[in-house]
Amino acid sequence: MNEKSTERLKPEYDVVVIGAGNGGLAAALELAVKGAKPLLLEQHNLPGGFATSFVRGRFEFEASLHELCSVGSVTNKGGVRAFLEDEAKVEIDWVPVPEAYRLILTDEKMDVTMPFGVDAFIDAVGKAVPGSRDSVETYMRFCEGISDALGVIGKLQDKPDLTKIAATIQNLPAALKHIASTTPGIVNFLKTLPCTVEEVTRTFNIPDDALKIIYPYWCYLGVPMSRMAFSLWAALIIEYIRLGAYIPRMRSHELTSAMEMRIRELGGRIEFNTRVEKILVEKGRVTGLETSAGDKIKTSCVICNASPTLTYNRLIHPAEEVPEAAHRNVNAHIHGGAGFVVYLGLDAPPAELGINEYGYFISKTMDTDAVYNSLGRLGMTDMQATICLNNAVPDCSPPGTTILSMTTLYKPDVWAGVTAKDYFALKNKIAGEMIDEFEKALGTKIRGRIEEFEVATPATFSRYTGTYKGIIYGYEPEPWDSIITRHLALKDENYIRGLMFAGGFGAMCMGYSSALLSGRAAALAALKKLG
Amino acid sequence: MNKTIKIKGDLTDWSALFDLMPNRKKRMRNAQPVALTSDPVRELVRNIHPEVINLVIDSVRDETASAKTFRLTPDIDEGTSALPIFRAGQYLSFKLPVGEETVTRPYSIASSPLDAFERGFFEITVRKKEGGFATGRIWNNWKAGVKVAASGPCGFFYHDSIRDSSEIVGLGGGCGVTPFRSMISDIVENRLDLRLTFLYGVRKPDDIIYHDELRKLEAKAPEKIKVVFVCSEPGESWTGPSGFLSADVIREHAGGMEGKTFFVCGPQEMYRFLDAELEKLNLPRRLIRREAFGEVTDPAAFPGYPAAAVGKSFTISAEIGDELFEVPANSAESVLVAFERAKLSPPSQCRSGECGFCRALLLEGDVFITPENDGRRLADKKFGYIHPCASYPVSDMKVRILRGA
Repeated sequence: MNEKSTERLKPEYDVVVIGAGNGGLAAALELAVKGAKPLLLEQHNLPGGFATSFVRGRFEFEASLHELCSVGSVTNKGGVRAFLEDEAKVEIDWVPVPEAYRLILTDEKMDVTMPFGVDAFIDAVGKAVPGSRDSVETYMRFCEGISDALGVIGKLQDKPDLTKIAATIQNLPAALKHIASTTPGIVNFLKTLPCTVEEVTRTFNIPDDALKIIYPYWCYLGVPMSRMAFSLWAALIIEYIRLGAYIPRMRSHELTSAMEMRIRELGGRIEFNTRVEKILVEKGRVTGLETSAGDKIKTSCVICNASPTLTYNRLIHPAEEVPEAAHRNVNAHIHGGAGFVVYLGLDAPPAELGINEYGYFISKTMDTDAVYNSLGRLGMTDMQATICLNNAVPDCSPPGTTILSMTTLYKPDVWAGVTAKDYFALKNKIAGEMIDEFEKALGTKIRGRIEEFEVATPATFSRYTGTYKGIIYGYEPEPWDSIITRHLALKDENYIRGLMFAGGFGAMCMGYSSALLSGRAAALAALKKLG
Repeated sequence: MNKTIKIKGDLTDWSALFDLMPNRKKRMRNAQPVALTSDPVRELVRNIHPEVINLVIDSVRDETASAKTFRLTPDIDEGTSALPIFRAGQYLSFKLPVGEETVTRPYSIASSPLDAFERGFFEITVRKKEGGFATGRIWNNWKAGVKVAASGPCGFFYHDSIRDSSEIVGLGGGCGVTPFRSMISDIVENRLDLRLTFLYGVRKPDDIIYHDELRKLEAKAPEKIKVVFVCSEPGESWTGPSGFLSADVIREHAGGMEGKTFFVCGPQEMYRFLDAELEKLNLPRRLIRREAFGEVTDPAAFPGYPAAAVGKSFTISAEIGDELFEVPANSAESVLVAFERAKLSPPSQCRSGECGFCRALLLEGDVFITPENDGRRLADKKFGYIHPCASYPVSDMKVRILRGA
C-alpha cells in the first residue's frame, strides 16, 4: 500500500550501527551523546541481543546476564557506570550482587563462599586453605598492578605501541620513569603480556587448593588457564573482586531499554524488525546497506555489532570485496563458547530450598583443561554457573517463589550435528541432568517445585541474534589474541574502510561490560573519522 | 604495594613481548583464506523455528455443523518443503490476507507431531463464530488448493517432562479440544509414558468435535487415555455426565488429583468459570497450565476498567518511520485491531498479550490492559511499551509502531 512506503528511512546517514546488542547500543548512545544522529538497525523486535529477558507465566527471566563488572558503587564508579551515568545520563537501578560466588567442586569435595573486596577475598582464601595467605596476597596485589596498568594504557590518548614502550622502559629513560614509578604494574604488565594464566600463576607457589578457589571466574572467559591471556584474567578478577558486581533491578532489559530511550531522546533513530542483509562495499570502502525491509541506505561508516565471522561471511556485498586476509583473520581466531541456559521458576522461596547465595560455580574439578574438554561433548558438561536472582533482587518474582538459571557452554561445533527430531528430547535430557547436579551439590530438592521451565540452547541464541553457531563468547582470548594485541592490530586488520566492530567479538574481548565499552570506543573512532 | 615479580622460564627477557605481534601475523598468514559457508546451528534453527511456513489446503472436512477441519500440506512451490517439528499443544499464527494487508489468527495444531513429521500435514479445526471476521473468511475462502501462510509453531501450552507430572488432567471446552487431540494422538502414537484424562465440556452432544476419533484413540491405549464428554445442555438421549466442568465433575472423573498437572484450554467464559472451580480443588498454581487467554472482546467487563471510556471512540496517532497516521479507535477493540482496520498491520502472533510480537511504544495517552493478558516485561512497563493486542484505548493516544517483520 502507498501508506507503507512512508516507513522508509532517510536515504543517507553519516553512521549506521548494525545490531542493538550491548555493543551496538553503546555505540549508538555514544554517537548520540556526541551530537551525531546515528541510525541503529536491529533484526529482532526489541533491544539487547543476549542482554534481554522473557516472560513465562508469572516469572520474568533474565536471558543471559550473571553479573556486570566495571559498574562499581556511586562513590567508586567503574567504567560502565561512569559511561552510562555521567557521560550518557542513562539512569539504571543497579543492584549489588551480595557475594562473589559460592564454589562447589563436586569431585574434590570443596565448598566455599567468597566475598567481594580484595582484602576480604585474600582473607577468605587464607582461612579456607591454611598457609596460603601470603602467596595469595602477593598474587592478588600483582594482579591489581596488572589491572591498573591496563587502565593506564587504556587511557592513553593515542594507541600505544607496546613494544616501543617496552624497549624504552628496558632502558628506563627519564621520560618513562614517571609512568613506571606511579604504575609499577606496567613493567609486570608488559612482561606478562605474552603469557598464559598458568605460566604466570605457577611462579607464585600458591597451594593447589587455594588456586581452585581463585580460578572459578575462568568460565566467564571460557578458555582454560593453560591458554588464557594472563593480563585479561588479572583485569577480570580484579574488576570483579575490587568493585563488586552489579545487575540491573529489572533484568538486563532495563539496561538496554534505558539506553534505547536515551538514544531516541538524543535524536538517534532506532528501527527494530529490520535486518541488515547487505553491507555494500565498493573498492574496499563501505558505501551503504540494504535491509530486509527493503531500505537502501547510503553511508560511509558502519559500526557492526555482528561478529567479524558473520560480517565477512554473510553481510559484505559483493562477497568478492572480502579480501583473503579477512577470511584468514576470522579462521585464525578460535571461536568461543555457545550458550546453554536452563531457566526455572520455582514455587518455593529460596530459603526454603536452602538456596542462600546469588551465584554458584558448580564444577567437577577446577582442572580447567578437563572441564574445557567436557564442553566438547554433547551431554551435560562438567560445570554450571547458576544464579538465584532473588538473592540479589528479592522481589524479582512473586512472594514464595524463586528464579534460578543454570548456564553452561559448548564448543561451537557440538550442536552442529543435532537434528530437529532429537532437539527437544536432548535439551530436556541435559537440563534434567544439570538440575540433578545442582540438587546434589546443594543437597536440595527443586524437582517437584518447578512451575516454569525453559531452556535456551545454542540454537536459541542463534535464532534471536543470528550469532554464528550460537556463540555467546566471542573469540577465545589467548595471549596473541587478547585485549592489547587486538587493539594494536586494529589498524592492520581493518580490511574494509568505514567498517568497525563493536561487541564481544571485538577488541575488548567478551562480556557485557567489555561489549558496552567496545561500543563506546567504536563510536569515538567513528566520530574521529567523520571529523 | 606492588612488587615486581621475576617471571620464570622464557620470560626473563623481553623477547616474548617483541614476538607477540609477529606471532599474531604469522597465525593469520597460516590460517585458511576461505569463507565459512555453512552454519549448521542456523540450519537447525530454520528447521525448528521457520519464520514462515507456506502451506496449501489439501482437504476440508466437516466436523460439526459449525466446525470444519482443514488439512494443510507444505507448499513446495513457495519454498516450504517439509513441516517443522512441534510440541503437541502448540499453535500456528495464520496470516490472513485482507486486501493488500494481513491480519493474524492463532489456531492450535490439532494433528499430531508424527502427522507433521512422517505424514507431512497439519490439521486445524476452526469453529465459525457468529459475525466472526476471520472465521467467516476462512470458511468462505479456504478450499482445496488455496495457499495460506503461517508462522512457525509457537506457544507454551505443551507437556514438558521436566516441569509437569506424567499424570495429566485435560480440561477442554468448545473448540479448545484441538490441542488435546494433538496431545492424545502424540501419547498414543509415540507410546509416551503419560496418562491423560480428558474432560471435554460442550453445550450439546452435537457440538462434540472429534467424538469418534477420540474414542478410537482411547480404545488404542485405555491404560493411558480416558476421554469424558460432559454436556451442559444434554437433551434426552444423552447418557453421559452433564453440567459444566465443575470441581465435583472433575473430582468424579479425574480420580485422585494429587500431583497431577492440569491443562486447560477453552473459551474465556470457561476460564472464568474454572478459576473458581479449580480453587475448590486447592491445587498449587504450578500444576495448572492454561492456554493463552485469547483476544478480550469485552474489556469493560474487567475490574478496574475506567467507566468513562465505555462506548467511546478515540484517535490514535500512529508513528511509523517518519510518518504519522490518524487511526480511529473504539474503546471495545484492541489497539492492534484499530491498526489492522486502518491497514497498518504491525507484526502479531498470539493476540493474547503473551508473545510480545506486536510490541509498540506508547508515547502519549492511556490504555487499559487486563491482568490476564499483561505479558509485558517489567522494564517495558517502566518505559511505556505496550502489547497492542492486549491494550485497549481509554484516551486519545500517540503510539510508535514497529515495522512489519
